Amino acid sequence: MKRNQAFAAIAAVGLVLGLAACGGGNGDQDDKDDVAAADSGTVTWWGWTPDTPVAEKYIEKFNEEYPDIKVTYKNYENVDYRNAITPALESGSGPDVYNISAGGGSADAWGGFALDQSKLAEEALGADWRSLFTEGYVEQLTTSDGIMAAVPLGGMAAGFVWYNDNIFAEAGATPPTDYDSWVDACAKIQAVGKICFTVGLGGQDTFPTEMFHSVANSVDPDWFLKATTGRAQWTDPQGVEVMEIFQRMAEDGIISKNALDGPQYPLANEEFMRGEAAMVQMGYWYAQYSGLESAKTAMESAGVSNPEPFVQLPLNFPDVAQKGNGSALFGDVDYGLAINAESKNIAASKTFVKWMTMSQVGQQTVASAIDVIPAVKGVTPDWDTLVLVDQAKQQPALTQLLDESTSTTQTRQWQATDTTLRAIVVAIQELVDPTVNKTIPDILQTLQDTSEPSDMGL
Amino acid sequence: MVRRVRTARPIPGGMRWLSPALILSVGLIYYCIFYSGYLSTFSWRGGRTPMKPVGLDNYVKALESPVFWQAIIHTLVFFVVVYTVQVLGGVAFSAAMHSGIKFATLYKVIIFTPVVIAPAIMAPAHIQVWSSGGTVNAILDRLGLASLAQSWIGQSSTSLMVVTAVQCWGAVGFGFLLYHAAMGQIDNDILEAARLDGAGNIRTLFSVILPNVRGTTVSLGILNFITALKLFDNPWLLTQGGPAHSSEFLGTMIYSEVAGQSRNIGYASALSMILLVIAIVISVVMSVWGRERPPRAPSRRQAKRAERKVLTSKATERHRPPALAANKGGDA
Repeated sequence: MKRNQAFAAIAAVGLVLGLAACGGGNGDQDDKDDVAAADSGTVTWWGWTPDTPVAEKYIEKFNEEYPDIKVTYKNYENVDYRNAITPALESGSGPDVYNISAGGGSADAWGGFALDQSKLAEEALGADWRSLFTEGYVEQLTTSDGIMAAVPLGGMAAGFVWYNDNIFAEAGATPPTDYDSWVDACAKIQAVGKICFTVGLGGQDTFPTEMFHSVANSVDPDWFLKATTGRAQWTDPQGVEVMEIFQRMAEDGIISKNALDGPQYPLANEEFMRGEAAMVQMGYWYAQYSGLESAKTAMESAGVSNPEPFVQLPLNFPDVAQKGNGSALFGDVDYGLAINAESKNIAASKTFVKWMTMSQVGQQTVASAIDVIPAVKGVTPDWDTLVLVDQAKQQPALTQLLDESTSTTQTRQWQATDTTLRAIVVAIQELVDPTVNKTIPDILQTLQDTSEPSDMGL
Repeated sequence: MVRRVRTARPIPGGMRWLSPALILSVGLIYYCIFYSGYLSTFSWRGGRTPMKPVGLDNYVKALESPVFWQAIIHTLVFFVVVYTVQVLGGVAFSAAMHSGIKFATLYKVIIFTPVVIAPAIMAPAHIQVWSSGGTVNAILDRLGLASLAQSWIGQSSTSLMVVTAVQCWGAVGFGFLLYHAAMGQIDNDILEAARLDGAGNIRTLFSVILPNVRGTTVSLGILNFITALKLFDNPWLLTQGGPAHSSEFLGTMIYSEVAGQSRNIGYASALSMILLVIAIVISVVMSVWGRERPPRAPSRRQAKRAERKVLTSKATERHRPPALAANKGGDA
């Protein structure tokens, strides 16, 4: 009997110890802050962005300066990233460096596992380091406890569309500037057998909210962010007008009939990259596909064999409300690099993060990948090193886009909760789905009831 | 010489042998269940974010959510359709295979193959089949029924049907496998006796075969219900529960809450606990319902009728020619 009890006790102790071990710990933050950056070591980096070829360019350039630091990048799809990073960090088996975005309070969600990098920034850039980054970026990556969880690497702007110049030329169409000209352009594009504007409104991805934001900015430039932060109601007249415009867009063939077949990725991305659609709404990250090699890779990934890249150009979102408001761009920090406080490679990770986010060469490399807007002010792509599909057409367009993208006055995701963004997606789906019998006021009331206002930046 | 009898037990207590399994099951399964129950009383985003106690608010939120009830209805519809198709398809195919059909092995492979293919592998093909420009619409177009073409996967009225149809595709093979094995266990004498009593194929199926495979039918019912309750892969891969929650299930709801940027771990845990309770209750109910029962005692009227029948057959026996009477003792 005694022996049985002994076994039971050992089992219980083992269980408790095992579970306690799973819990992990905070580590000694102060000691890790003091670890000096090193010139050798290994770094694993996880992110949903950039795409692997872009990350490889960054790492290649980094290795020119630090050949003894081996960086391994692992790219995940958006949702997969969230599912992978949290348990990895919680179990102590996370990467050394990982991405944190501005959206959905990510800094609070994952910042608890990261080193506070304000000390590293001060060492690298001096006491005035905050002012060197684009306004708002540092704040968006700081936890509510005031910990700078990640150093901004790049920003992102959205609220514009990309168009295939080759299709427009073939159709004899002019890039639209308002609702009526959009309908005209679509008629010509559809006449040559192409999809006018591809958009993926299905699934649970929150991409459709960017289109909603753009339409809302055309109706009333201030209303969308007021609604996401609870200072306006979704049921307001502006909300009704936004939904009515969406409905007309579906009826007039601007929104493609297969829009609910799937989410923006892969549906809309692949249709545009295969050259089947003339327009798509994507953010600044799509600028990278203006590069000849990136365009070929993206087209191959979409299923095109022997791709001949087309000329893609940015276009302001048409003023669909036709009130003269245009449609303002919106943006915030796209992602920053966090260092895992449980990492065994903190020294090498600090070197990598410092180079990517705070060095002139690193930020120049980021800018030249034309994937994100460099986080440090005043850094622009080195156009001489870039080979675009059509340099003459694309370089001026991209330069102008970068200028506009660095001076946005509205945030993109930072001031909207994930709950609200998902509620907007459902509202759009209910509106566009011909088999749903709900009136616009009913749809908006549901949106109002199921959304959750954000208090960020208030 | 007197042989000493060992009185000590040959194995020193069961605890030593039990402990590995005990640690695993208690530590990994039951601990997780109780921990989920504990988490369901918090508002928590996971990781090192603060945990705010909310009592039973997460349960109230779930029960007041129209999406939750939509998911429950979808689960029931899914269960009824998949179970029905699985039982009918499984029985039909296994009965056909037991009837000495030609190329039976080939058919078995064809029927069973969908069971072993992972949903993630088949999802892109299913999406292609059911999308606006997909195979189903192309077939309708060829048949001159282009007016019926629609976005099967991208509209609320048909998305659940697509998810259910895709599940049926794999479920029939599994049903076939179990019924084929169960039918193989039925004593041939019983089947032959039924034939001699004049039972046709349909009568044999309903009066002999199905009662004998009742255990399989009940097991499939329980398995299907649990599958429906925790369904995740097919709806997520095909529709992500949409559009507008039209193919939402409890599994996809829980996943969305955990995988979304807001990560509502507490609410997801409450949904998981509700799912667990439903699964346990339904499993117990179905197990009790499917238990073997002793035959009911005949009513007085039934007993009299049976007695009359016996007497009549004895009288007939007496009037039979000797040759036929002699045969009675032969092989049945």
